[in-house]
Amino acid sequence: MRPSFFHHLHPPTIPAPQARLRYTLGAGGLAVYLVLAILITGVLLMFYYVPTPEGAGPSIQVLTFLVPYGALVRNLHYWAAQLLIGVVTLHMLRVILTGAYAKPRRFNYLLGLSLLLLSLMLDFTGYVLRWDEGVRWALVAGTNLVKSIPALGPALYTILMGGSQPGAATLTRFYAWHIFGLTLVLIIIGVWHLFRVRRDGGIAVPPPDKRSNSARISRFELVRREGLAAILATAVLLPLAAFIPAPLAAPMQSLTTPNGLVVDSRAPWFFLWVQQLLKFGNAFVMGVLVPLGVVVLLIAVPYLLPAARPEELGRWLPRGGRLAQVVTVLAAVLLLALSIWSALSSI
Amino acid sequence: MKRLILVASAFLLMTVLLVTWHFSRQPTPIVLTPTLTGQPEYCLTCHSDLPEISASHPVATFGCVICHGGERLALDADLAHSSMRGGANPSDLSVVQDSCGGSICHSGDSADQRDHIQRVLTSIQATYAGAIASIRYTYGAQPNLVAHQGIYPVEVDPGVPPLGVSSLARFSPSADDSPPILTFAQNCLYCHLSAEPLEGTQYNRQTGCAACHTPTAGKNPAAPVHQLSTSIPYTQCNTCHNRGNYDLRDMQFIARQDHPNDRLNDYYQPIAQFTRCEWTLDCVDCHTRQEAMGDGHIYSNQKEIQYVQCRTCHGTLTELPKTRTITDSNDIALKLAFLNPVIDLKVGDTIIVTDRGEPLWNVRQLADGTFEEFGKATGQRFTFNPVMGTACEQKPDEQASQYCHECHVVER
Repeated sequence: MRPSFFHHLHPPTIPAPQARLRYTLGAGGLAVYLVLAILITGVLLMFYYVPTPEGAGPSIQVLTFLVPYGALVRNLHYWAAQLLIGVVTLHMLRVILTGAYAKPRRFNYLLGLSLLLLSLMLDFTGYVLRWDEGVRWALVAGTNLVKSIPALGPALYTILMGGSQPGAATLTRFYAWHIFGLTLVLIIIGVWHLFRVRRDGGIAVPPPDKRSNSARISRFELVRREGLAAILATAVLLPLAAFIPAPLAAPMQSLTTPNGLVVDSRAPWFFLWVQQLLKFGNAFVMGVLVPLGVVVLLIAVPYLLPAARPEELGRWLPRGGRLAQVVTVLAAVLLLALSIWSALSSI
Repeated sequence: MKRLILVASAFLLMTVLLVTWHFSRQPTPIVLTPTLTGQPEYCLTCHSDLPEISASHPVATFGCVICHGGERLALDADLAHSSMRGGANPSDLSVVQDSCGGSICHSGDSADQRDHIQRVLTSIQATYAGAIASIRYTYGAQPNLVAHQGIYPVEVDPGVPPLGVSSLARFSPSADDSPPILTFAQNCLYCHLSAEPLEGTQYNRQTGCAACHTPTAGKNPAAPVHQLSTSIPYTQCNTCHNRGNYDLRDMQFIARQDHPNDRLNDYYQPIAQFTRCEWTLDCVDCHTRQEAMGDGHIYSNQKEIQYVQCRTCHGTLTELPKTRTITDSNDIALKLAFLNPVIDLKVGDTIIVTDRGEPLWNVRQLADGTFEEFGKATGQRFTFNPVMGTACEQKPDEQASQYCHECHVVER
């Protein structure tokens, strides 16, 4: 078979012990699958969505209620995006807890981390595109965090929002970022990430002489496993999308004057931990510095913390990476606890 | 592995079938594009069983959303209803301007009497200013009976020269006020157009315009009524009026225990005196639009706006009742008769008009100089004579009803 571009991204063989589901969790592959699902459904949504303050709400309602299977497409887009955050986070945890981030994969780890941040930004911009009463407070509160940055804040805010307060320009900008800016960067970095996996020697394994099992599976076996994962993921996504609709509220009439409807003032679930942090203090410290600190901590993992030795690679919880594992798990538990706390407390 | 893929595929096929089945069960949307808005709405998908609200508001013209608000495209009940105005009652005074207002609807030109909303908002039934002024005066909070406060702050249209007071502040008694005023505020503010009624079918009414115009009297409050009418029976007025007595010492409403069924024997309380027309006609047969809905001025009490008397229809010994012959096909009397066609009123007919010139469009002069009257709620026809030329012993300056009751009272 003559190699195609696909062969640059997809390995010809991989070591059998590291190809097992209990090692990879299938998270990286699922992320690719979910991104593809999001891209396809997203393109379909663009045929109906109208990115203006007056048009956004009604166009989503037309799509949801009147276009045949429009609700399914929208809900698939929504659910794939929510699952993506989870799957990407899981993938990152797997990489950290197996020590796979160690040199020479440090840079690819950073690419992966940027993909998580891009997914979060895409999720947030997509959430705002609803432009309904449900996103009002998250939009106002979330973007005000930018304003809280000393000195730079107001200028950044104006660049981000297209004015001194949220308005039509904000929606246009968020739409452009969502469908073009962020998506393009995500695709480029995503492909780069896949390419770097192979460039860095494929999945992390011990050196050949330190392997207990040197069996490998073929590209065809790998595709079969990927196909199985895709089928199962579809079987989960479809009922989710059909039976649990993506949130939708009455269109926002005006950003400055709430129309008195009772709405949820909760942040989207992946930012609940930030919302909870904001209750403890200053917006800049809690809403900007602390989340930034989490990112810096994650960046620091491969560079500053001791890494697993090469012979320890390819399995869970290598002794050499203990500190990184403890720090990451602590941070993850903390974030999860804050999110649950926020979800359970009334606002 | 191949077997696993086969099993997974079968599982996926099952979910696909399940999802397809789920979507096949979705209701077929029923679209309506009202001619007035030109915007499609899907409310009828669920609400096709609702009766037409009134002949003047056909659904094909108005649709639902122009009055009720809500999400016209949504087929999810929670979302569709989330932005409705005033819940099930868009005529509640808090939202009435958005629901019923608009220059071509009910906040139009006052010269044409199309300013219903502004009039109602300043009316004594909505502001409750009379009762509030009276109580505040009685307990020393103000030096006279002039109204200064109402249920909500309101002012007369700047263009209208004030006849009564020019504005009302919100009645919100503070701890400094005397206890009876506080008790009044707590116990007695449920008989105005913004108040939720007391519990019980006898009190069952909506708020806002629908308090009078939606016939709910005696019906189960849990069953909404989708109807607007100008044919308002006395029973609807009775959801507020004639329901009991007030004890001013402890500021309690003492509800009457009986539920009046037989109008002659049960309706009026024992000491009440009334004439035949006061129990055979309905309230709206005599009391006019301005009396009930206000005239745009803010009055201090009911007496200042209630002006129709026996003589309005019957005249006095020296004067015939005021009449007007309809010459214009756009006459307001014809419009009112069109809304409630109990009478075949036409150009050339002579009707009674009040001192303020309001037409009693349901009272027409006959060729012999006597009059016929049609009950607005019953359609019943009555005839009557003017006082002039009869043996009536009335004195010219004694025209209030109690003087007429002296001779014409109905004995029970």
